[in-house]
Amino acid sequence: MKRVLSLLLAAVMILSLAACGQTQDQGSASEPYKAALLLNGTLGDKSFFDSAHEGLVKLKEELGEDVFDFKVEQMGATAADEPKWAPTLFDYCETGEYDVIIIGTWQMIEALEEAAQQFPDQKFIFFDETFDFSKGEFNNIYNVLYKQNEVSFLVGAAAAMMTVDERLPMVDPETKSIGFLGGMENPIINDFLVGYIQGAKHVLPDVKVAIGYVGNFYDSAAGKDIALVQYQSGGVDVGYNVAGAAGLGQIEAAADAKRYAFGVDSDQAALLPEQADYIPTSALKNVGNSLIRAIKLDLEGKLAYGTAESLGFAEGGVNLVKDEHYEKMLPEDIRARIDELEQEIIDGKIVVDTALGKTQEEIDAIKASVQ
Amino acid sequence: MIVDAILSPEFLNNTLRATTPILFAALASAIASKSGVVNMALEGIMLFAALFGVIFSAAFQSAWLGLLATMVVGGFIGLFLAFAVLKLKTDEILAAIAINLIANGATILILLFVSGDRGISSSINSLTIPMVSLPVIENIPFIGTVLSNQNILTYISLIMVVVVHIFLYKTPLGLQIRAVGENKDAAESVGISPDRIRYISLILSGVLASMGGFFLSGGYMTRFTTGMSAGRGFIALAASAMGGNTPIGSFLVSLLFGAAQAISNILQLGTLPHELVQMLPYLTTLIGLGIYSYSRMKKRQRLMGR
Repeated sequence: MKRVLSLLLAAVMILSLAACGQTQDQGSASEPYKAALLLNGTLGDKSFFDSAHEGLVKLKEELGEDVFDFKVEQMGATAADEPKWAPTLFDYCETGEYDVIIIGTWQMIEALEEAAQQFPDQKFIFFDETFDFSKGEFNNIYNVLYKQNEVSFLVGAAAAMMTVDERLPMVDPETKSIGFLGGMENPIINDFLVGYIQGAKHVLPDVKVAIGYVGNFYDSAAGKDIALVQYQSGGVDVGYNVAGAAGLGQIEAAADAKRYAFGVDSDQAALLPEQADYIPTSALKNVGNSLIRAIKLDLEGKLAYGTAESLGFAEGGVNLVKDEHYEKMLPEDIRARIDELEQEIIDGKIVVDTALGKTQEEIDAIKASVQ
Repeated sequence: MIVDAILSPEFLNNTLRATTPILFAALASAIASKSGVVNMALEGIMLFAALFGVIFSAAFQSAWLGLLATMVVGGFIGLFLAFAVLKLKTDEILAAIAINLIANGATILILLFVSGDRGISSSINSLTIPMVSLPVIENIPFIGTVLSNQNILTYISLIMVVVVHIFLYKTPLGLQIRAVGENKDAAESVGISPDRIRYISLILSGVLASMGGFFLSGGYMTRFTTGMSAGRGFIALAASAMGGNTPIGSFLVSLLFGAAQAISNILQLGTLPHELVQMLPYLTTLIGLGIYSYSRMKKRQRLMGR
């Protein structure tokens, strides 16, 4: 027994030595720009984690392995995984191997704050949530945001046009209610909501918006029930889900109730072919594009660390899926109006309101205006 | 609008649907607890079952065969828990936590192998147990809307309440389970093997919980999404504890939780702060537990004769 143990120990030590040797080898070779993508979730969300990953894959293909390389770390999304998010981030900082560490979402803010202060030489790209730069010296963080309010404005406008349109087979033109299903109330989800409400009111001033929250981003069955209530008892004919996997419940509810639901974060009509008939189109954040843009800028030394940047329609940060399916689902005049509105947003003729930086009272007032 | 919604038959219909997965798991918990073992692995078993339900129903192209195969898997997980607890003498809570944690990761891994996705099983062509409308009953106003047009598994869960009740209180095996749970040594002294009985109870418990899990992805929803059991296994554990681990009691408390969930869904239509509304199911649990322990205390005081 003892011999086996000592053999094992020896083997482990040799292996770990070998591992050390390897990293050193890599260190001395001609260095590509290396990025680490830390996901507090898993790939396969068909949403912005996948989008981030695809962006990096594309960039690597474009620039070649010897210029750009990256590693993805999937830390898992559930409550059980949460305790390891921050330590993983610190582990990556400690290696010092990566030119930039890419992380996202509001759940990582505090960990990032600490890591950025402890490792001032480590560069970070932080996506999809506002980072509070006023809390100290954070010259090593580039914060990229998406104008989800802009794309949601279009969704809201489309939903409001649809809910009173008697040509559409699955709406009751008498009711002027549209629905919103959020995961939980946080600044980003509110930003979606604020844009959605503004867009809806822009085309239909007396529109009503039924707002529901699942309470998390994974209970799809609960999401389905909440959405069913909106469709069946709330007179809602068109919904919009911003609740991650739980939002898929709204799409199933739409299929059950024979109503419409807009998708988000991925092309959900393509993802769910059986329910595509209920999904007019989806609102996307192009996380991948934004990372490609950021890293290219960084390679030129032009990336503005220490600042935040919001990418909207103009910068290709967000878009609405406009494919054949969308053309089939929506009448031409509604689509033409949407294109018009999009152009007006790009031209700055319409300024879409944002929830970022608003107080809870202001947001509650916006919500109350459509009840 | 809200009052109308709560008085509507759709609300009760919604309640029954929300109750179903909790009820299956609560009955599972009741059987295990009656034999003297707490089955805290319900959450993990449900999550596994939700995934395997999708895989099996697609593989057999039959929802019923899929359900059957999923029940077998549930039974095996119950057996595994029993083996760890009874044979290897692991702590029952720790073993269950391990199963729950494994379920979190393993379901994603298996989903990835089978479908190439990590988040949702949309690329698996799975089938669901259908809804049925009950002849005659569906024509009765109100009651028809409440009871008819439910998933067949919802009806099965209601039937299971009676079945488990009869099983525990009217059959020799049920008597043995209760005997082992009440007093293991006394049961042993009359020739009952407590381990054998507990193996059986935990396997049955796994089978029942897996039916609840199957319902999530093959009835409630039509596909699997990661983490979709979403704490229902733990709510069921509370339901059966509050129901005194009896099938009828578990049913009533599960119904209460289902109703609380349905009310909270409806109240979101209104202007109440949603955080408050979302607390409702948990608040109900808390109040229920309070009433339960108060009545037990009173009962004990009465028994003491003072």
